Amino acid sequence: MLELVLSSVACAALCYTLGRYNRTLALQRWQFVLNAPEERALESLRRRVELDTALARQALDAAERARDARRPADAITVLRVALSLLEEAGADRLTRLRAMAVYSRMVRAIRPLPAPSPAPFRGTQLKAAAAVGGFFHGFLVGTQERFRLWLVLMGLGVRIVLRGGRQAVDGAIREPARPRPWAAFAAGLSDFEALDASHLAAFEALAASLAAVDRGGRLELWERIAGDSR
Amino acid sequence: MSDLQLLLAHLVKLGLVALLGGMLVRGRVGLCWAFFFYVLAILVGNSLVTLAPQRFFNHSFWVLKQGVYDLLKMAVAIELAWRAFAAFPGAWRTARIVLLAIAATGSLSLAWLTPRSYQTLWEWQPGAVTATVWLLTATALLVVFYQVPIGNWQRAIMLGLAPYLLVFVTALSMLRRHGWAVRDGASLLDALAYLGVVLFWAWAAWRKDAPRLAEGREGSPA
Repeated sequence: MLELVLSSVACAALCYTLGRYNRTLALQRWQFVLNAPEERALESLRRRVELDTALARQALDAAERARDARRPADAITVLRVALSLLEEAGADRLTRLRAMAVYSRMVRAIRPLPAPSPAPFRGTQLKAAAAVGGFFHGFLVGTQERFRLWLVLMGLGVRIVLRGGRQAVDGAIREPARPRPWAAFAAGLSDFEALDASHLAAFEALAASLAAVDRGGRLELWERIAGDSR
Repeated sequence: MSDLQLLLAHLVKLGLVALLGGMLVRGRVGLCWAFFFYVLAILVGNSLVTLAPQRFFNHSFWVLKQGVYDLLKMAVAIELAWRAFAAFPGAWRTARIVLLAIAATGSLSLAWLTPRSYQTLWEWQPGAVTATVWLLTATALLVVFYQVPIGNWQRAIMLGLAPYLLVFVTALSMLRRHGWAVRDGASLLDALAYLGVVLFWAWAAWRKDAPRLAEGREGSPA
């Protein structure tokens, strides 16, 4: 009877997981690791990251100009655009952080990253999170664990920035002439740029670590999997 | 052997021939060698029992062929895991630990909990089959956890083998609980399930795959 129960549980788990398994999606996720050269992938990501923050900063500048010109309605509208750009970029970063967490389990070792530091951040919550992360970083031994701690911190940082940005926009809507919400939004944007720098460093470390792992073998496997007929 | 059993055995044989043909024509043999030998062993065992039942349709031969099948099924599960994870050292390290733990647990429980006698060897069957199902399940869970892109053929093997093994364990449990009085029913259940899984595998083996990806295709960064 015990065997029957164990087999039923195992069979149900297998059918559920493999039934929902989407091979095309898995292939797409692996595409950049296995097909694109690391430098090109990194350069493409760097351009995207720079574009996101440049657009958000441009929108913030335009909103501040409108505020200074005493056009509060326009200022708030453009500030909302800046927030939506930030939210879109944040969603993109969170998705990539999740993907990096998956890929980081594939490699034997990851190129070490420096310990998290509060120095590059302006927000109090982010500074505190980075300080706590830096403290725990010292207790972790493996580079993979340290790398994943970095990923957790970056995810937390993105969420903190987005929440702060929303609160700042709400504050600016209530009192457009008050400088504090605008300063808070600008500080959040600056923190987002600092997080992006860490994001790129983490991506570069992961790409380099994956590249160091038997690339020929991976490409061969890739062809076998993608072709599925040899 | 009843006429119905014989008919089902012949149908399974035809299905196995179609399956082997599909594997050879579509070039799937090298994707899992253990599975090829497993199908070959099943075909040989089936042919011996159906073509010379007076000599091979007996208890001792059943025990022998089931022992061979069990070994090959475990080899299938291990080869599938190896093929999925061998290129990824981090994932393969975890997979090795999980598979070793399952194999060790299965072996120890079989060694301690079942009688040591050739005559009662068939009592090992449910435990061995359960261990194989868990090996397959562990591989499937790790594949999903690590998002490893496995092929459709490997997926079809796992999706076919695990449910069949569950039916097989159910049939064995019926026999253990109710004795030989339910032998025909258990045998029919097992044969029908196996015919179904062989037809599924044959369909998967003959199915054409999507064209190979072009070499050096551009990849998105993330």
